[in-house]
Amino acid sequence: MLVMKNINKIFQTADIQTHALRDFCLQVNEGDFVSVTGPSGSGKTTFLNIAGLLETFTNGEFLLDGEEVGQLNDDGRSRMRNQKIGFIFQGFNLIPDLNLYDNVDVPLRYRGFNAKERKRRIEESLERVGLASRMKHLPSQLSGGQQQRVAIARALATSPRFLLADEPTGNLDSEMAQGVMTLLEEINQQGTTIIMVTHDAQLAQRAKRTIQVKDGRVSELEKVTPIMNQAIA
Amino acid sequence: MLETGLILRALARNKIGAMLIALQIALTMAIMVNAIFMIQDRQQQMKRASGLDEANTFYLTNTIFGQDYNIISHLQTDLNMIRNTPGVVDAIQINAVPLSGSGWSMALQHQPGEDQDAVGSAIYMVDEHALNSLGLELIAGTNFSQADVEIRKDGQSTWPAKTIITKAFAENLYPDDWQSAIGKTVYISQNQPLQIIGVIKAMQAPWNGWNGVERSMLVPFHREAKGGYYFIRTEPGQRDALMPIIEKALAESDKERIIRRVTTVEETRKRSYQQQNATNKILMTVVITLTLITGFGIVGLAIFSINRRTKQIGTRRALGATKGQIMRYFMMENFLISCVGILIGSVGAVALNMWLVNSFNLSPISFELVAFGVVALFIVGQLAVLYPARKAALIPPATATRTI
Repeated sequence: MLVMKNINKIFQTADIQTHALRDFCLQVNEGDFVSVTGPSGSGKTTFLNIAGLLETFTNGEFLLDGEEVGQLNDDGRSRMRNQKIGFIFQGFNLIPDLNLYDNVDVPLRYRGFNAKERKRRIEESLERVGLASRMKHLPSQLSGGQQQRVAIARALATSPRFLLADEPTGNLDSEMAQGVMTLLEEINQQGTTIIMVTHDAQLAQRAKRTIQVKDGRVSELEKVTPIMNQAIA
Repeated sequence: MLETGLILRALARNKIGAMLIALQIALTMAIMVNAIFMIQDRQQQMKRASGLDEANTFYLTNTIFGQDYNIISHLQTDLNMIRNTPGVVDAIQINAVPLSGSGWSMALQHQPGEDQDAVGSAIYMVDEHALNSLGLELIAGTNFSQADVEIRKDGQSTWPAKTIITKAFAENLYPDDWQSAIGKTVYISQNQPLQIIGVIKAMQAPWNGWNGVERSMLVPFHREAKGGYYFIRTEPGQRDALMPIIEKALAESDKERIIRRVTTVEETRKRSYQQQNATNKILMTVVITLTLITGFGIVGLAIFSINRRTKQIGTRRALGATKGQIMRYFMMENFLISCVGILIGSVGAVALNMWLVNSFNLSPISFELVAFGVVALFIVGQLAVLYPARKAALIPPATATRTI
């Protein structure tokens, strides 16, 4: 479960203070598929960065699987990202010099799996996205949709509890976008919790829940449930 | 977990930059190792003992301009005066000074006659006080006696009957047993016999660059010549004080000659190796410059590579890499590039050394020096990449979600 309560994020430069998130509250339960929409500059990406432990927050409380994230140091956040979170980026973020096999291998090495286990996971996850036969190809030899599938395979290989997707279809044509969405739905049905930031209202509707972020707040405020209160306590 | 395989495969797809740095490392290695080898070689040459008591000896030139001048009589008077000066251990007349750059040489042969193999040697004309005056160590045989000392006139071509030679010379003449030299007769000027009566531990020739610099011989002569050296040995710590005293005493005792160039043997050694010292400094500058250029090259390539891969590094961080793992990635990458460079460099260093050995008669490079080069360049490489790697580790994971 992911619980955020009154999260604030302030970006401070010499002259300007930008309040990117204001008292942001959200609860994402096990198995959820949440789409996050909102206009540009609303704080969607900041939320995703904080949810993915890519960025720290100024104040508030954030529990990930019951663990208070604010207490973790940089190495602790890195380990938690590696163990619990998978990322799918708008630009795929594959490493161009590595073939598909090696791209999927990257987070597995950080986890410290042995070679045999890594091989099993790489093959399994590439199989899952339908690219097992192309594992020796370089990303540049694939279409955009296929590259995003590789990124999904890389995210899935570590068996994450949460899959965070930042505009996963933003660089794809509609046909490829539909394919990726279908794949995400399948993954969600198999139990992985997904949080997806998107501009595309139509795709957002395919999620189980949709929240809108505006001016750094969840516009339709998520209610803090008793479970959430217990978790924070 | 080390990412050696991934790094190698990624490098294989971006060969040019890595190969250029590897070649730079190789070139640096080859030049550095050989330059250090040459520096060491020179330093060893400079450290060779002259055989003299350098700390307590000095010499001066005695140039006579007087007419009807009794050289031998004045020589005895001068030597007696110097030897009786408090603080002086002994003194001699000598025709040349070790390492001074100027002297005499002759060749000795086992058999008389033309077309015989002969071995060249520096020749010093001295009397029975030479061993004591120069501080030489007699390790076999005997010293000259006063009766052995002959007067040598300018232009004279005959030689006395006895000689004392250095151990290095004895080893050259009698490779199987240098001690067997004692009592043997050798020939100078093709057919004049000389009996070897003593062997001294060492006494260098006047020319430090000569490959026979350790081969010297003493012959018992007082030279009846208008120019020559007086060589003086003092009690420890007395040399500097006695130099002006003796110079003044000699100058005042006889107005028909000039006393000049009062010089210590230490100063002579320093001047003798001035060129070697300068060459060593130049070589060391080349080594340091090359090493710095290589270091900066590594820094430059690493920074360029990091700037090019900022998003990729952010992605790795997002995928769970710790700062330490990012640093390790770049240090390992540099290590692998260095391995290639150092491997090529080691082969290059040995090849260059083989060429130097063949061309300039140097000795072969030692394994230890190559090993030193390997370690030094690994350290330089790792130090050079430390800052860029640290910079890479500080790239925030949120870079992964930024649209650059």
